[in-house]
Amino acid sequence: MTLMELRELSDLDTHLGNRPAQLRAAQRKGVKVVGFFPGNYVPEEIIYASGALPICLARGGSPEPVDAALTEVPDVICPFVRAQVGERLLKTNPYYGMIDMLVAPITCQHLKKAGEIWEYHGDKEIFKLGVPHQNDAEFSLEYYADRLRVMKDRLEALTGNEITDEKLGEAITLYNRIRGLLREVSLLRRAAPPPISSLEFVKLNHASFYADPVFFADVLDSVYHELQGEKAVTKAEAPRLLLLGPNVADGDYKVLGLVAAAGGEIVAEELCEGIRYYWHDIENEGDLRRSLARGYLIDRLPCAFIRRSAKKRLDFALKLVQDFDVSGIIWYEILQCEVYNAESYFFAQRMREHNVPMLILESDYGTADVGQLRTRIEAFIEQIRKAGDND
Amino acid sequence: MIELLKLCGFTDSEIEAQLPRVAAVFSRFGVTAEDIERGKQRLNKYYDLEMPGVRQAVRLCIKDLTNMVLAREEGKQKVIYGFMAPGFEILGSALLSKSSAVHVASLFPSLHFVIGCVFDKIVPILEAAERKWLKSGKIAHCGNVKTLVGLFALDLIPRPDLLVTSGFLCDTAPKAIDLIQELYGIPTYYYDSCHDREFREYPDDIRVTGLAAKSLRRFALKVQEVVGFEITDDMLQEAIDARGGLSTAMKNIHNLMDSGDPLPLSANHDLLCHTMSTLPRGKSDTGEPLAILNTIYEAMQDRVRKGIGAVEKGAPRVLALNPHHMNDPRMEHLLGELGIALVSSETGFFAPHGERDPAGEKPADPYEKLAQSLRTSLAQGLSARAAIIIEACRRLNVDGVLDKYHVGCRMGAADAMLLKDAITQQLGIPVLLMEWEGFDPRAYNEEQCRRRLELFKDVLISSRQPE
Repeated sequence: MTLMELRELSDLDTHLGNRPAQLRAAQRKGVKVVGFFPGNYVPEEIIYASGALPICLARGGSPEPVDAALTEVPDVICPFVRAQVGERLLKTNPYYGMIDMLVAPITCQHLKKAGEIWEYHGDKEIFKLGVPHQNDAEFSLEYYADRLRVMKDRLEALTGNEITDEKLGEAITLYNRIRGLLREVSLLRRAAPPPISSLEFVKLNHASFYADPVFFADVLDSVYHELQGEKAVTKAEAPRLLLLGPNVADGDYKVLGLVAAAGGEIVAEELCEGIRYYWHDIENEGDLRRSLARGYLIDRLPCAFIRRSAKKRLDFALKLVQDFDVSGIIWYEILQCEVYNAESYFFAQRMREHNVPMLILESDYGTADVGQLRTRIEAFIEQIRKAGDND
Repeated sequence: MIELLKLCGFTDSEIEAQLPRVAAVFSRFGVTAEDIERGKQRLNKYYDLEMPGVRQAVRLCIKDLTNMVLAREEGKQKVIYGFMAPGFEILGSALLSKSSAVHVASLFPSLHFVIGCVFDKIVPILEAAERKWLKSGKIAHCGNVKTLVGLFALDLIPRPDLLVTSGFLCDTAPKAIDLIQELYGIPTYYYDSCHDREFREYPDDIRVTGLAAKSLRRFALKVQEVVGFEITDDMLQEAIDARGGLSTAMKNIHNLMDSGDPLPLSANHDLLCHTMSTLPRGKSDTGEPLAILNTIYEAMQDRVRKGIGAVEKGAPRVLALNPHHMNDPRMEHLLGELGIALVSSETGFFAPHGERDPAGEKPADPYEKLAQSLRTSLAQGLSARAAIIIEACRRLNVDGVLDKYHVGCRMGAADAMLLKDAITQQLGIPVLLMEWEGFDPRAYNEEQCRRRLELFKDVLISSRQPE
């Protein structure tokens, strides 16, 4: 049986297909749906503890919303953010239209603009969650913790429910379970060959953006236990690769598909929606809001917009190279992401010093670059294979 | 070279003393005899050197650049640079007042002016950065950041003991200095705030200015470590007070610009004046830029009395969003040539009325005073920025808005289309959007700009309400 034949995954597919209708039914009963932009700085636990249903708005990968957004933002803004602006304009994706409130984290300078544009139109309740980019000072932690307090107040006002410590503790337990299972499934890929492909894993992770978290945790649990005894999905000799970069949106599967088609096997993803989300748990003791603040702002592997983050992420990537026995790195950034683009030089230089080849890819959500990307990926994988043969 | 220095207001005795220093600096930047000739032509073309004060301003820029480049050779024990760091010029002034062993420079108003506006020699610096890690093309890395990286890549300015930036406006500068520390081993630091103000809170800024003040205070502790002496609140307050005259002088100039018809000063001179007000100066050294600004102001008053202006009386009045081009005077010159009065650029418009002074009670904490730039339009979110600009348009009674958005600045560029939407909806005046690179002269296409601006001028005139 392949992973995709697992009954739980088939149930998950059905669940996701029915999810918009489920959410609308819940809304009719007075339950609120709260959307948030990705990047791992919005504690879903607080939304969940308010009785609202959290939905991560992270759709990307198709050119239509990106193009539609050009009526509101110029093309120097990254395609992912343009997609978040364009989805609002197109109204074709049900999740974007149904939310009762948007939590817009103040993260990278592109994504924070998406929040501002939604706010400008004034047709949705917006909460801008301040994320101090200087996260190494006590006053920054205080600031973020205070913004979480305000977020809690706003959610309580929206839902009419009090967010008690008990509810928050339960939510932390639930999301820790999800993170822990994602981590365990991901760690299975240290095996050669891995029992789950990168594309399957990333899609599974993306399902968490929309699925009911309790249901999703149970699915993950089944997947994890199933995979422990599962045979590999790829050939043992496939070069093992690490994916680095800003993000892979829900639907942005072009590069993952091309790598797999070229015979490469991505065994870990160091991305906003990858390891950075599930690598650390939130401490579920003491002052829970402070614990969430610390867990989300400080303990996590930082995104590139956080000051002094490049070296931390480099060191972590080097550790992943060892732990997952990686022989090459795919650096995938979406066009116009100037912060990651600046970092790519530094990473490539340092990886070279460690004899780890790195391929830098940039792409938008169009199809025009597929041929060029395929050629470069194939050449890179061939180069790694040859280097392996020579060892 | 001597002729150039005379043209820039150096006296004979100054030339004797300064010539070897200036020559050494120009040589380092590859300024040749041909460049000097060209520089003279550009100065004569783009600047009114007959206007009292302008030559002195050019001269001060050359001196400032020279002092920075030769700081190490001339024995300065500590060198600290501020890059895209509002408020740094004040803290830097406090340091300069305390110790002559420290050199403090704001990167790079004077460098952009001398190397860019005068000699048009910025491009090799940008290219050096592009050969390193800030590649050219559609990614549109900020030209100002490229200048910083190019200068270190080419070893054109001394490596500092501390390079500081702020996250007040963007993530690009902090990321750049983070990588500069990793790649070049230059110690760096930053101070920050958080861009999370909601329009429902507007114009309340206390939360973000408070965070910035804490971060600035932490930065001051870092500077103390570097320079080896304490920076007290009193020192900082003294620097704020000492620079008060510069602020007043700039306000006087802006007030005349805001109301003068004909417009008494062109945009290029406005930028030169702004440079005078942002150079870090010790307490005893603020007299020179202050005298220059006051001289220019007096000359402007004289012009207003005589009805002389940079453009004809009655020329259409335009507000430029984003600051003027820092190292290429051609576009701003062209606007004047076409008879468009560029009344102001978007620098220092405070919430909520687009005035040049922060409204409300002044904070007592000197670090909170340094953080007041966060209350200006450029540091706000889209809706608040639009509100301030609209008020500024009303106050300045402009006929239109020119948003030449700097593509390297994602914060500003992202707003362009919806700012236009807000301005046209609320004021009904024309807004021209021009994609632009505010620090890269290669972005300039004279014919294309001329055609678009001529058309814009026609629209401005035809849209005017009848008197």
